[in-house]
Amino acid sequence: MTALGTPIQGVTLYSFTRAFHGREYDLEGLIRKAAAENFGPGLEIIGFSSFRGFPEIDDQYAGWFKDLIAETGLVTTSLAVNADIGIHRDRLLTQDELLEYMRRQIAAAAKLGFPIARVQISITPDSMEALAPIAEEYGVTLALEVHADQYASHPRILALRDRYEKVGSPFLGFTMDWGATVSGFAPSLVEAYRRRGASEELLAAVTGLWDEFYQQGPPADQADHGQRFGRFIGLAAQYGRPDLGIDMGINATGLFGPARVDDWLEIFPWIKHVHGKFFGIDDQHEEPSVPVRDLIRLLVENGYNGAISSEYEGWHWNSWQSPFDIIRDEQAVQRSAAEAAGSHMTRDAATARTQLAQWLPSTTGAKA
Amino acid sequence: MIPDRIIEQGTLTTDGTRTSVEVRLPWYRALPASCIAGAKLTVDGVEAPADSLRWEMNGKTFTFAELTPNTEEWWFPTDSAVLSGDIATPEDGEHTVSVELVLYIPYIVIGADEVLHIEEKDTKTMSARKAVAA
Repeated sequence: MTALGTPIQGVTLYSFTRAFHGREYDLEGLIRKAAAENFGPGLEIIGFSSFRGFPEIDDQYAGWFKDLIAETGLVTTSLAVNADIGIHRDRLLTQDELLEYMRRQIAAAAKLGFPIARVQISITPDSMEALAPIAEEYGVTLALEVHADQYASHPRILALRDRYEKVGSPFLGFTMDWGATVSGFAPSLVEAYRRRGASEELLAAVTGLWDEFYQQGPPADQADHGQRFGRFIGLAAQYGRPDLGIDMGINATGLFGPARVDDWLEIFPWIKHVHGKFFGIDDQHEEPSVPVRDLIRLLVENGYNGAISSEYEGWHWNSWQSPFDIIRDEQAVQRSAAEAAGSHMTRDAATARTQLAQWLPSTTGAKA
Repeated sequence: MIPDRIIEQGTLTTDGTRTSVEVRLPWYRALPASCIAGAKLTVDGVEAPADSLRWEMNGKTFTFAELTPNTEEWWFPTDSAVLSGDIATPEDGEHTVSVELVLYIPYIVIGADEVLHIEEKDTKTMSARKAVAA
């Protein structure tokens, strides 16, 4: 029997995008706030969001950053990086250019003290295979994000898993994003559409259509996905609000993935990091549309010992509630769920550092 | 994604023949100049001629044709850029300012050799300040 996991609690600064973008907090202020609110010890950051000039990081800046992390008692878990394949408007990057582009970001992750780089689905199995030696060289695990509108048993993800198995590098894995396994259309988004004047009839029709697709399970392929997208656009037009159609389609099919929690078992051994994606908290202090408790139970029972970054995405539409209050409540749900599963979340920084070091591969490479 | 923040309130500036406004990135992460694909600036229903538009970012001024090949300059999410164009805005009274932006999102691949582009629009009402010669 697998020993129960003790996931490391943490947060991604992405949850506070609205506050950072609104200049309420600069990076240092936001890190200090996350520490003061006890949202860690795990801390995830998006490179291109938070570090000016990313991925170029000079020694002085890296020193300042690492001192700040040490002072605040946080533990850097994952640096989210981006494969900007379309950065040249007239053509996509070649494989060699992409590898060099990613190398610079992986180097930045190592320099800033992040043991994981979160990469995304735009990176093909061939590219992941080619990146494995670079990941090993820098001692940084590449954890490709499985994000709605795809899911663990999606053909693209299984193709990556099969390639990981073939390559055999412990530095390749996945980031589980809970947005792939959502159980309902987020009520806070319904409220946001209501505030934009959508009728109750339209709102009922949109949530009803989402529930219908949930019953059918996740879309079989991109064509099926596109059809579902079109159905939401059609509903908005039918109820007299065509202006809301694309927004509804994007959110309903691109953020709220309708796969079941058990779907994660398809790739479980390769899950190195988790995005605890969620959209809001209700009056009972529960997340009404993401099955947080079931997801935590799955992780604990299958021995997951990596970090979970609470990733609040409701900030896109929710301008009336504090993201800090919402994160606090969601993390309490995670802890309660871990205890209900007979375990607990790791919250002590020293324990988290030791646990993460054991959980992830290490390298003796010169640049690690 | 926070399109209501595109126009910085209170930043409409005019020198009588040209008008400018500060704009914010409606996206969560920095984008390179190459991904800033187009803009429209409209004041009180008058749209600036496309060839008169200029984009000031990181202390440098660009035409939109100059932005396209540039992957060195980046638009950081907390920075204002300045969009300007040929519009004769009166200094007195309130003005309705609209900005449309077209941005490419370079890592979201949506086709064989195509990445996502987004079109965002914001409209705000504000008075104009007289431009001070540099």
